[in-house]
Amino acid sequence: MKLAGLVAKLLLLTMGVLLIGCVPVQPWERGNLAKPQMALDPNPSQSALWTHNYGSREAAAGGNAAQGGGCGCY
Amino acid sequence: MPHKVVVVAVINRKSKRCHLKEYLTKSFDRLRTNGNVLSPSATLRRALSNQERDQQPVGWVGAVPTQHLAIGVGSRKDATQAMCLPCVGVRTSPQPTKFVRSLKKPDGIPLQALTAAALLLPGLLSPVAHATEGDEVDFQYSHYQEGKRGISSAVSDPLTGENTVSGIKNSLNPIEVESLHGSAKITLTDRIKFAFNYMQDTWSGATPISTAPAVFGGNSQLFSANGATVVGASPYLQGVNQVLLDRKLNPVQYVFPFDPTSGLIKNNQLTHILASASPETRKQGDFKLSYEWDEAALSVGGGISLEDDYESRFGNIGGRWDLNQKRTTLNLDLSYTNSDTHAVLDHDAYSYIDSTAYRLNGQLETLKNQPKSNILSGNRQDWATHFGLTQIINKDALVGADVSYTRSTGYMANPYKAVNVVFVDPDPTLQSNNDNPPGIFSGDLRALLEQRPDVRNQWNLGGRYVQYINALDAALHFDYHFSADDWGIQAHTFEADWVQLLGSGWTVTPRVRYYSQDAADFYTPWLVTKQGFKSKSDANGKPIGLPYDPSKLPANFSSDQRLSGYGALSGGVTVTKQFAKGLSLETGFEYYTHQGSFKIGGGGEGAYADFDYWAANAALKVDLAALSLGGGGGHSHTGHEHHNHGVHAPAGVMFDHMLPNAGDFMVGYRYMYGNQGGDMLHGAKPISDQAIVAGGCGLNPCFVKPASMTMNMHMLDIMYAPTDWLTLMLMPQFMDMGMTMDRLGGAPPDSVANNNTDNPVNPNGERLNIGQHIAHHVQNGHETGGIGDLGMYALFKLFDNGIHHVHVTGGLSVPTGDVNIQLRRNHQIDGGFIHYGMQLGSGTWDFKPSLTYTGHIDQFSWGAQANGTVRMAGKNKSGYALGELFQATAWGSYNLTNWLSASVRGVYTLQGGLKGQFNGLINQFGPMDYPENHGGKYWDVGFGLSAVVPSGDLAGNRVSVEWLQPVEDNVNGYQLERDGALSATWSVAF
Repeated sequence: MKLAGLVAKLLLLTMGVLLIGCVPVQPWERGNLAKPQMALDPNPSQSALWTHNYGSREAAAGGNAAQGGGCGCY
Repeated sequence: MPHKVVVVAVINRKSKRCHLKEYLTKSFDRLRTNGNVLSPSATLRRALSNQERDQQPVGWVGAVPTQHLAIGVGSRKDATQAMCLPCVGVRTSPQPTKFVRSLKKPDGIPLQALTAAALLLPGLLSPVAHATEGDEVDFQYSHYQEGKRGISSAVSDPLTGENTVSGIKNSLNPIEVESLHGSAKITLTDRIKFAFNYMQDTWSGATPISTAPAVFGGNSQLFSANGATVVGASPYLQGVNQVLLDRKLNPVQYVFPFDPTSGLIKNNQLTHILASASPETRKQGDFKLSYEWDEAALSVGGGISLEDDYESRFGNIGGRWDLNQKRTTLNLDLSYTNSDTHAVLDHDAYSYIDSTAYRLNGQLETLKNQPKSNILSGNRQDWATHFGLTQIINKDALVGADVSYTRSTGYMANPYKAVNVVFVDPDPTLQSNNDNPPGIFSGDLRALLEQRPDVRNQWNLGGRYVQYINALDAALHFDYHFSADDWGIQAHTFEADWVQLLGSGWTVTPRVRYYSQDAADFYTPWLVTKQGFKSKSDANGKPIGLPYDPSKLPANFSSDQRLSGYGALSGGVTVTKQFAKGLSLETGFEYYTHQGSFKIGGGGEGAYADFDYWAANAALKVDLAALSLGGGGGHSHTGHEHHNHGVHAPAGVMFDHMLPNAGDFMVGYRYMYGNQGGDMLHGAKPISDQAIVAGGCGLNPCFVKPASMTMNMHMLDIMYAPTDWLTLMLMPQFMDMGMTMDRLGGAPPDSVANNNTDNPVNPNGERLNIGQHIAHHVQNGHETGGIGDLGMYALFKLFDNGIHHVHVTGGLSVPTGDVNIQLRRNHQIDGGFIHYGMQLGSGTWDFKPSLTYTGHIDQFSWGAQANGTVRMAGKNKSGYALGELFQATAWGSYNLTNWLSASVRGVYTLQGGLKGQFNGLINQFGPMDYPENHGGKYWDVGFGLSAVVPSGDLAGNRVSVEWLQPVEDNVNGYQLERDGALSATWSVAF
């Protein structure tokens, strides 16, 4: 799991760098953040479909069946 | 465009702001801005009027990703003008003021999107009911299509006896999946939201069973009747002859008899061995209930997924917490899944795959009454937890990170996949066969059902970055995830999306994704073991112990390519168009290619395992909250609770009403269920099995009869009225059907089926042994599913005086439903067409006229309709045409209350008989396989209820249900009687 440790550290580092760059955003400045294209998932029904397709063909996505997608394994 | 309102003000911070904020928070959830102005909800009105009374500055709101209402204030006077803000327009004056806002998708409020996104992270809790946030109903259809896989085999040169390896023709259809997905999100109270999802997939096609060196001949070639042309391949999992390996255990190709000059030629080329499957359908339903506080939310959900061989039940709970004035959001989720496998092992492959290990550990049982049914059972449990954090970095960017852990235990193998194992018995007496060239081992090729560990711990961590690009009004999303588990699989996922608004309601989102994974520790394409394969069984044929020593094999082995090392690159685009009045259309396309050579760091599986797929989908989204525009404001066509227009007929009647005003829209969903079961009829009377055997199948005897036939249809009615005397309607449909069969008492033995008059004859003059298929038909039943025919209709108003209304409809049915669905090969014989009733469409362009009359006075309403279907071609591409249809129906209904009505209906249907017959192989074993046993005259009586939401945000939504009870069936030939039909509809007008 060495690679896992490395990835975790890299992610933490990246997050740290990004978070340091945080500026306080006042409520009236949040216009852009509210736009639909800025939603964390702008196309939820598309993402649902992609996740379903990837999950039937890849090991990482299909790792757990909490989505309850049956085997759907074709 | 009204000017923007001044923002700043200082008000008495704590008390007033919290108070105001609470009102505005609640009201904001209701506001929708889709290019039209809204009437403020009651709470906002109340809030604002309080302020007006106090002559205090009033607040306006803007939505922010973390649901923090950007509270700013302007003067009351300013508030009466429409505000121009990204997400909200607020109007307080009674006159609607139209203004154009920047575009916003109905479900774009990011607060909920956070939760949804958190749940969507791969390897995790997936989109079971997106976080509810805007009342909405969605319908989506998608089609997934893989490309044909390349396969190879040993090809013998008939002259030289040399066997070489080459690619061979793959005539098996690749995997194809048709899916339907419907979802609804509803606000039950201010703080409680409910979301519900239904989805179903029907899939068919060929997948790999195992992998083997091509030189072993695992894909045996099929030749045409005259032996000249190769027409395809059939899986051949087990060597009849010995297979040969060199001293280093490489597979060899050689000339027979052995030619020392050409030597032993090593050939490590691998190939998948493919087997096809008849269509199967999976259905899933799930829900999510959530409760919102101001800065937190809690949700609970669950669902179930069902398919013939797998049943899965799951539940989840999740929480969301906003901090730091909602600049930071935390998510925590927990889920549990319990799944059961109940797989009928492939009968054809069963004798070639060794499953003794499963029989000895009790997972495999043979049904006593059907000796050919071997069922493998297993149970699996998954616990998953996920923690996510989202942080606003600056006014144009946010970042997210998450980590999740999943623990799975139980049976996790695939019951249809095997690993080819070559047993090389080191016993020198066996190895010194004089026929074999010197210097090689001869081995016994077997296939063993795969075995996987019964515990899997998987970690997944990653992050997401979203950046707004001001110059283009677009957003860049970048996502990275890393996944690792104790099966040795490590995977990286990189995704990037560019969400670009184009104006006029259009949004285009191109996307690209790169995925790479390592192989699992126990993944192996094939195996060699230095031991012999020795079956031992007792006098009853029951196995005694394993036919091999398991300690000389790995504890776990799988050739499933989901566990192999490879990389995958995919790209696609989604296009959304948002119309006025809350309707939006979305369509997407993605192309994905799986290649061993794309793996990060190299060392992936060879090119033989490469495949690709494309997936396309189309979705219609209806924003229910947009209804409150029509309900509250100045439009005159409110409320289908009034009788003035569009009296609604019972749920089973189509084309029963028109839209009264030009510019009206209506969207409806209709579900129809039909079932047949019980007696077999000849004409109008029940008939015995013996009579069916003798007369039901033309010149051949009958062997089976249908025991039950079920049909589920999902239809979408999309209506638009360009004028008040014309309404246009588009009706796509998706259906699935299933049937089971029973043997007929007194039928001749199965082998007699080989003498069927239409049974093909092989070049030696022998009939194909199709009788072997009968047992499969009885044991397994049949399923089909997918998109049906598309209907396009125009309704013309002929007369309407407020009490009586007559309209005529002209319609066209487009043959988008399949009419060439086939069963899989069994026993090296094609299955042929699935019988007429299980095909999904008519295959012909059909003209569908109808005439409808409706009337109403006070609490009573009534109507009558005559409709027909005329086939515009004599036969479809499969060689037949469904008969013409004529139907007459009349009904009466009574309003029990102002929102509920009950109806009674009578129907007469005349269905013409089938013309022509299948132009290819169809295994004819029962009356349903013969064209003369279709059509008839049917009488039904129907009982229905219809409810409409009279007021409130969901006003105008109507739900109807009707049960049709068969009164008499007078069928052509021999058919199964009908049990009844259920129709349920939901509709909403704009």
